[in-house]
Amino acid sequence: MSTNTSLKPETSVETGAVTAAESAAKSPWALVALRELQVKLTDRNFLLGTGVTILLVGAVFALQGFLLGGGPPSFKVAVTDTAATTVLTQAEQDLQASDPEASVDVVEVADTAAAEALLTDEEVHGALLPAGDGWELVTNGETDSQMLSVITDAVRTTALQQNAEAAGTSLDALTVGTTVETRDLSGGDEQSRFVAWIAGFAMAMLFYMAAIMFGMAIANSVVEEKQSRIVEILAAAIPVRALLTGKVVGNTVLAFGQMALLGAVALVGLTFTDYDQYLSMLTEAFLWYIPFFVLGFLALACVWAAAGAMASRTEDLQSTTMPLTMVLVVVFIVGLSLDGAAKVIGSFVPVLSTILMPMRLLDGSAQWWEAVLALGITAAFCLLTIGAGTRLYRRSLLQTSGRVSLKAAWSGGE
Amino acid sequence: MLAVHGLTRQYGELRAVDNVTFEVPAGKMIGFVGGNGAGKTTTMRMIMGVLAPTAGEVSWEGRPASPGDRTRFGYMPEERGLYPKQPVLDQLTYLGRLHGMTQRAAHGRAKELLERFGLGERLKEKVEKLSLGNQQRAQIIASVLGDPVALILDEPFSGLDPAAVDQMADLLREHTSTGVPVLFSSHQLELVDRLCDGIVVLHKGKVVAQGTSEELRGNAPLRYVLSLTGDAGWVRGVPGIRVLDLDGGTVDLEPDSEEVAQRLLAEAVTRGGVREFTRVRPSLSEIYREVAAA
Repeated sequence: MSTNTSLKPETSVETGAVTAAESAAKSPWALVALRELQVKLTDRNFLLGTGVTILLVGAVFALQGFLLGGGPPSFKVAVTDTAATTVLTQAEQDLQASDPEASVDVVEVADTAAAEALLTDEEVHGALLPAGDGWELVTNGETDSQMLSVITDAVRTTALQQNAEAAGTSLDALTVGTTVETRDLSGGDEQSRFVAWIAGFAMAMLFYMAAIMFGMAIANSVVEEKQSRIVEILAAAIPVRALLTGKVVGNTVLAFGQMALLGAVALVGLTFTDYDQYLSMLTEAFLWYIPFFVLGFLALACVWAAAGAMASRTEDLQSTTMPLTMVLVVVFIVGLSLDGAAKVIGSFVPVLSTILMPMRLLDGSAQWWEAVLALGITAAFCLLTIGAGTRLYRRSLLQTSGRVSLKAAWSGGE
Repeated sequence: MLAVHGLTRQYGELRAVDNVTFEVPAGKMIGFVGGNGAGKTTTMRMIMGVLAPTAGEVSWEGRPASPGDRTRFGYMPEERGLYPKQPVLDQLTYLGRLHGMTQRAAHGRAKELLERFGLGERLKEKVEKLSLGNQQRAQIIASVLGDPVALILDEPFSGLDPAAVDQMADLLREHTSTGVPVLFSSHQLELVDRLCDGIVVLHKGKVVAQGTSEELRGNAPLRYVLSLTGDAGWVRGVPGIRVLDLDGGTVDLEPDSEEVAQRLLAEAVTRGGVREFTRVRPSLSEIYREVAAA
């Protein structure tokens, strides 16, 4: 693009025209990108698809929240004396040892009848009443097993403590040597490894789907211009490079937007489940995932455009885009099945790294500098594919009769 | 002024365009004629920069045409089309913006031209819903949208009905009257003859003739048709006259000079009634056939 800015316009009419030509010459790619966005964002199918996906992701977390978690355990228990309050304080401490947000609320009432009245009105979950030497846990209908076990433990602990004191010793002295520590050779615990695997799988899946969907959108948008024959008008109006840049930028923005939206919905959804303790770990991994996603997508974007340019009708797309689809399928399957040293090596291979490096960051086996290195390698690879993709695109764009072979596209003139 | 110098395009063994040189002066309409495969489309693509020349150059206002210059050329390619699923006004506005117009200016100009071409009721209609003729009109609008400084039109009249041909011709004249050079190719030689200030004839990639139609005709031999009330057989005997065709009282002839023709007419008058004595100007297609055959 070389608008001669040093050329002095001689008349006012000329001034207007030169300015207009300059502004078009500066950012025609932005106009193309905007059109890509506009076409997609007014496409009912695209909006519907994205909406349904977001609803599904939201629903998964909502179900998790309702069925499995329902928030931290919280019980309301009626008592008639302070001894019961002591027991329940112990119960709350025990519960909070595993979940800091858990609570046991004590409602003090005058007598058993008042406690039973509260139970009948479903104001409390249970009533802890003295019964002979021990205690009675009164409930109305179903007894929450967690409430039962935590109160039973608390009663035992409290009683043991009192009995120990009465015998002139202490609970600690009695229970010395009864503890069992656990040690897991794999590092993290079972649950966090499970969460890391699910999150890694979800990110891999998201990349795979987005790469195919928006890659195909680029190829489609290119072949649509060839098939409708508008391409020569466009190529005469603006540089072919600007046309390509606009398409790639527009679709990258769309892919990124959809991914960010889904990621945000998932992270917000997570806070409604029992897994919210992993929020900071997952958020950090997701922030690393974003540059891997964008670069991984960009690495193939220009090649998708070239595949579109090598077709001349929509029907040809299937065969010209096949190599790309194959690459992505292989990357997805291999990415999920690699392990050990192969996984470490794979996490530095462009495109494959978009799947493997976030996984390794999640399970804690990769350092930050490894991620930066992998991003650098992908960026360098991007330059290569952008160069090659642009060359193929430019040379096959105006060939409107039949499919262009790879060899012909690569060596053909412009 | 738009000019091409020694423009050449080689496809493997085939030299599709061979050392083509001509000018399209400001405010002039130049017809670009030649048979299929003569190299017209290839030449026009090179002028627009969508195809790189093997040799030669395109110049604008006396210097090599830059991509910035070409953004301001209006172009109608041979293979043309618009986005089928986009409303016609939106799409023309977009094309105007690609040519550097503001959103507002592009929208206004596209709407004005659509109304002028009788599409004012269909601004929001998708291109695929328009009739073929109306798609052609939208196509024409696309080529003149960005206030072009030059127009390069490949077969702009093909497929147009007579009304649209007149509208198109008016539109082109409007542009030449403001000093815009117009180059268009056409197989409709009568139309070229009627509209153009000059003609470039291309044959097998080479320019075989160029000039105004008067200039091209100037080289053609003198020719008359003489029609008499009686038999015209005696004309064969007149010195300096070559008879091309004789049919009863009508004779098609080539005199050696204008004087010979005048003497023939005088003799015919003395011999009896003369119905017609007409100078036959060769049509452009005849000239074309002659130069193409040479």
